[in-house]
Amino acid sequence: MRYLELYGLFFVQRLKVFLEYRLSFLIGASSTFFMQAGGLFAIWAVMRVTPNLLGWSFDQVLLLYGMVALARSFELMFANNLWVVGQHYIRSGDFDRFLVRPINPLFHLIADRFNHDGIGNFLIGLVVVIRSSLSLNIDWNLEKVLCMVLAALGGGLVFIALNLITCVSAFWIVDSAPVTLAVHEWHEFAKYPLSMYSSQIKTALTFVVPYGLVSYYPALFVLGRDSSFLAFASPFMGMGLMLIGYALWNVGLRRYGSTGS
Amino acid sequence: MPAIEVLNLEKVFSIPQRDPGLAGAFKGLFQPRYTKKVAVDKISFSLEAGEVVGYIGVNGAGKSTTIKMLTGILSPSSGHVRVLGRDPHKERVANARDIGVVFGQRTQLWWDLALRESLWLVAKIYEIPKVKFVALLEEFAHVLELEELLSKPIRTMSLGQKMRSELAATLIHSPRVVYLDEPTIGLDVLVKERIRGFLKTQNKQNGTTVLLTTHDLGDIEELCSRVLIIDSGKLIYDGALETIKQRFGTHRTMKFELAGAGLASPLHLPDGAEITSQEGSSLELRFDRVRCSASQIASSVMSQLEVLDFSIGEPDLTSIIKQIYAGGLS
Repeated sequence: MRYLELYGLFFVQRLKVFLEYRLSFLIGASSTFFMQAGGLFAIWAVMRVTPNLLGWSFDQVLLLYGMVALARSFELMFANNLWVVGQHYIRSGDFDRFLVRPINPLFHLIADRFNHDGIGNFLIGLVVVIRSSLSLNIDWNLEKVLCMVLAALGGGLVFIALNLITCVSAFWIVDSAPVTLAVHEWHEFAKYPLSMYSSQIKTALTFVVPYGLVSYYPALFVLGRDSSFLAFASPFMGMGLMLIGYALWNVGLRRYGSTGS
Repeated sequence: MPAIEVLNLEKVFSIPQRDPGLAGAFKGLFQPRYTKKVAVDKISFSLEAGEVVGYIGVNGAGKSTTIKMLTGILSPSSGHVRVLGRDPHKERVANARDIGVVFGQRTQLWWDLALRESLWLVAKIYEIPKVKFVALLEEFAHVLELEELLSKPIRTMSLGQKMRSELAATLIHSPRVVYLDEPTIGLDVLVKERIRGFLKTQNKQNGTTVLLTTHDLGDIEELCSRVLIIDSGKLIYDGALETIKQRFGTHRTMKFELAGAGLASPLHLPDGAEITSQEGSSLELRFDRVRCSASQIASSVMSQLEVLDFSIGEPDLTSIIKQIYAGGLS
């Protein structure tokens, strides 16, 4: 409860800063827009050549894309500092600041900076999902809506958890961004149907770096193609990975306590 | 119970050794070799509640490492630390409630936020009631002259403004123990005075225990009655500032303003005195006050030259500390 209140306060302060820096806000928002436009264009280009991608239409692939963007936006908005914990906090010694305060250092790190670039991703993801699902004439029911909401939230958790697990390497090598990137880039696969890939990669995207749970399986459910439990697995997988990440984070913290860098 | 208790405290770091060149870098990658560096070497001391103690030593002597262990950031390699009866590393969060830390030129405030907002966030982190916060803010704003700064973002502040803000943020939760790492570095005299005054009041009003590392001996002289001196990780002195001054401050300087320029003939001086500089009409002497007195020198000089004015300099702590480092304390 106390942490929720604190997060709210951090968030409001951050918001004031954005409003103050209108230009930076606009640049951030438009760069998000251009990046997303590039991503969408890539899909359009692929689908123009192969209008039917192993039984997936352009609009169906767009749905996958939108779901990934939506889930990722939570990581971008709320946990972006995990990317830079080494470069911005450990290297400069600012990490010490978290350790002399009476709150959880991981919470402090995450709350320290709400990233407004994520808002653009959220909106674009939302628009793409709505647009594609409209043209797909999905027969919505409560289960399907629930599946989409859980996929976005649970998917966000998967994104954050994987970044948490990889960012812990910062306690050993300081700059953890390349490690995080190496894992994070797997989410690109989830913008296309997993049936495209070899069974090993499909398994990896389901159980190891489970970005497939963010888009592919929930989409199968919503499109009425499959009703595997995997469509609802992302919140559980996300929480499991979070627990692993938090355990590793504590190992990293212990190491920081003995080396101080 | 002492506020800070340190017994045989030791911190050893393993430092990867690298051979020079690219080949060396590769070798280090696959066969890392480590050397042990003893940053803090079995030191012991204790601070009573309400004491203000100076912790001095050259860069790399082990000051910051000690403070990091006292704040709970680092775990000791061996030995015993208690701050207000707690193990600061194992009970880090509980310890954090009762301590305040200023890390030199690093800021603990939010770069883009106005000072008032930053302080409010800090207050919320420490769960300070709004009424108390408002009262303290008013007091601090007055003593540290922050009124004009409250609506200013930290990034737009000068060094001195930042440090004053930093101190307010460090003391807003009324910590019982405060660690200050170089709180006056790079600041002008007026700001230094204000900061020292603030710390003195806090210490007097609330009985705050202060451990202060500094290169500025003015800080020490004004604030601390006791100093700890650390050199290569070892505590080489723990005692009154006066004792050091008396033991090592036997050399004084004396300045003369002469009528007319320069010396016509060599000056005869009592034993234990020597000329250290001479420029135009000013003459500077250094003397050992055990071997000769200031009045002996003054009368000797005045009998040979026409003197307009003269002054006696206080013992200079910088040179005293240098002597101690050079191995003069045994």
